[in-house]
Amino acid sequence: MNSLVVSDVTLAFGGLYALSDVNLTIQAGLITSIIGPNGAGKTSMLNCISGFYHPTRGAIRFGERVLTRASPHQVSSWGIARAFQNIELFRGMTVLDNLMLARHRKLDYSFWHAFIYMGRASRQEAVNRAFVEEIIDFMELEPYRKHIVGGLSYGVQKRVEVARALTLEPQLLLLDEPMAGMNIEEKEDMVRFVLDIQKERHTTVVLVEHDLGVVMDISDQIYVLDFGQLIGSGRPEEVARDPKVIEAYIGEN
Amino acid sequence: MSANRWFATGNFFSAYRDEQRIFATHLDRAIFATFLTALFVWPLCFEVSSKNMLVLDNILVAMVAIIGLNLVTGFAGLISIGHAAFVGVGAYTLALLARTIGDSHVLITHAWPLMLLGCGGMGALFGAFVGLPALRLKHLYLAIATLSFQMIFQWTINFLPMFNQGQTISIGRVFWFGGEVSRKDHYFFWYYVALTIVVVFGLAVRNLLRSRYGRSLVAVRDNDRAADAMGMHPGLTKVYAFALAGFFAGVAGGLHAYLYRGAGIESFTLQQSITYLAMAIVGGLGTLTGAFWGPAAIRLLDLQVENLVEWLTAIMPANMNLATALKPLTFGLVIVLFLMFEPRGIANWWRICRSYVKLWPFRY
Ligand SMILES: Nc1ncnc2c1ncn2[C@@H]1O[C@H](COP(=O)(O)OP(=O)(O)OP(=O)(O)O)[C@@H](O)[C@H]1O
Ligand SMILES: [Mg+2]
Repeated sequence: MNSLVVSDVTLAFGGLYALSDVNLTIQAGLITSIIGPNGAGKTSMLNCISGFYHPTRGAIRFGERVLTRASPHQVSSWGIARAFQNIELFRGMTVLDNLMLARHRKLDYSFWHAFIYMGRASRQEAVNRAFVEEIIDFMELEPYRKHIVGGLSYGVQKRVEVARALTLEPQLLLLDEPMAGMNIEEKEDMVRFVLDIQKERHTTVVLVEHDLGVVMDISDQIYVLDFGQLIGSGRPEEVARDPKVIEAYIGEN
Repeated sequence: MSANRWFATGNFFSAYRDEQRIFATHLDRAIFATFLTALFVWPLCFEVSSKNMLVLDNILVAMVAIIGLNLVTGFAGLISIGHAAFVGVGAYTLALLARTIGDSHVLITHAWPLMLLGCGGMGALFGAFVGLPALRLKHLYLAIATLSFQMIFQWTINFLPMFNQGQTISIGRVFWFGGEVSRKDHYFFWYYVALTIVVVFGLAVRNLLRSRYGRSLVAVRDNDRAADAMGMHPGLTKVYAFALAGFFAGVAGGLHAYLYRGAGIESFTLQQSITYLAMAIVGGLGTLTGAFWGPAAIRLLDLQVENLVEWLTAIMPANMNLATALKPLTFGLVIVLFLMFEPRGIANWWRICRSYVKLWPFRY
């Protein structure tokens, strides 16, 4: 499995530095969290990794691949999937179709097969449908399979987001506040899913989350951002003791 | 799948392959087959005038065009205000060939199925080219690109002697197994050709829409950021959508040219593009059956208004202006009414009827 290395990444919007000289290493197989107050640059970091933004300076590498200038569809085809902070689902489609779309690259029958829809096309669709069903099972979305996504509750939509990212069969999964706006019960479920994703599906997880309790509980490694700068990093207990981190969080309150 | 494959109620699927079926029950399949047979057989049983047959031919040709427009505008969400120009590309591909090699050359009269495909291919090429701005532009800006293509097309045809400056370029009669298709049989012959094409394309597109090539169209319409994250190139997907629409338009254009035995600019103007959009909207954007309902409804409405105009001019000749204004007026009104009250088009009424019948004898 590959590790993700972010070196000296700076992202500027005009005069505003969303990220300045940030260095991170996301080790394969672990859960790494990125925390920080609002506007610290967490989402910007994920956007740089997944190709939606391109850093002004610096480089991002995933194993051999250089992600610095890649576009989102390339990054996703290299095994990095992402769930968005502001839900970005295909609202008019069913849960099933949303997940089937994540299999786009895995289906490689030709255009002409699609017209006839026999042999290859139909076979591949069925195989991938079975895989999607496995994810639906894993994320406990069975009751919503044929529901239109736009009509589902916020918590369920968040879960569909994660499910869709998982359907891409990523090596590395980026989760942007997957628990925001959820009630305790939904949060507990999501924590369980994240742990299972790491342990059972052997996927590296990057978690951006405001709920520090959850972050401290499940992370192997934590990076702390504030005003676009990396102000601390380490194991949960180290970060919790770091005076700079405590100040950033108390300063916020 | 349970034992009774005739009714939908009480049935469940037990394999993903079962769910792929277009027709879930034997009953659906039987109804569809009967309906198709009826469409093919009825002209043999009844006396139909050439005039009425032409109306039907026209509807069928429009259906081919609207299948394309619906793919790009309905499914991929890219407004095209130049669809008539793409139909024109198809028609003029044939016309130009006829002008170069003679309008009764074997290629044109005997190899017409090949010619129709060629028209489609040319339409697809132009579609892809006009769609290129989709790599950069979005929404209205893109619509403007299609509008400019419409304008450039009209201008080119009207001014270049090569295209007879928009005057009709004639195309010879085609041959079938029994020899040349006679004047008397002309419209019947094209009825069968157009009907076959509509059925084949309809089924093909139905298949396409449940494949990766169809889902990606809807994906870029719904959320192109997410489509990007799912590994699709949103820009290229849109270019592909335009090419696809261009193909169907091109075939429709070829059919049109054969049907009227010629091509002239008046059938491919901006006004016709808007009529096509109206058909797509009234039929139901983003639904396959909408491509069949729309052209039928709009053409029939057209005829009714024509009758009304005739009747009005007969009883009050002084009021000519009112009568001629009636056509665009009704037209506009229908579009607005549909956009306001039934944006999902006639296809939605069809869907409601179907689901009612499907669940029978239960209410829901
Ligand atoms: N496209 C953009 N254009 C201009 N400024 C931007 C853009 N995207 C982000 N920013 C700015 O960059 C800074 C970091 O934003 P970011 O969304 O990364 O924060 P965050 O850590 O994810 O915050 P939150 O916890 O609220 O989600 C903010 O000041 C934001 O306004
Ligand atoms: Mg954020």
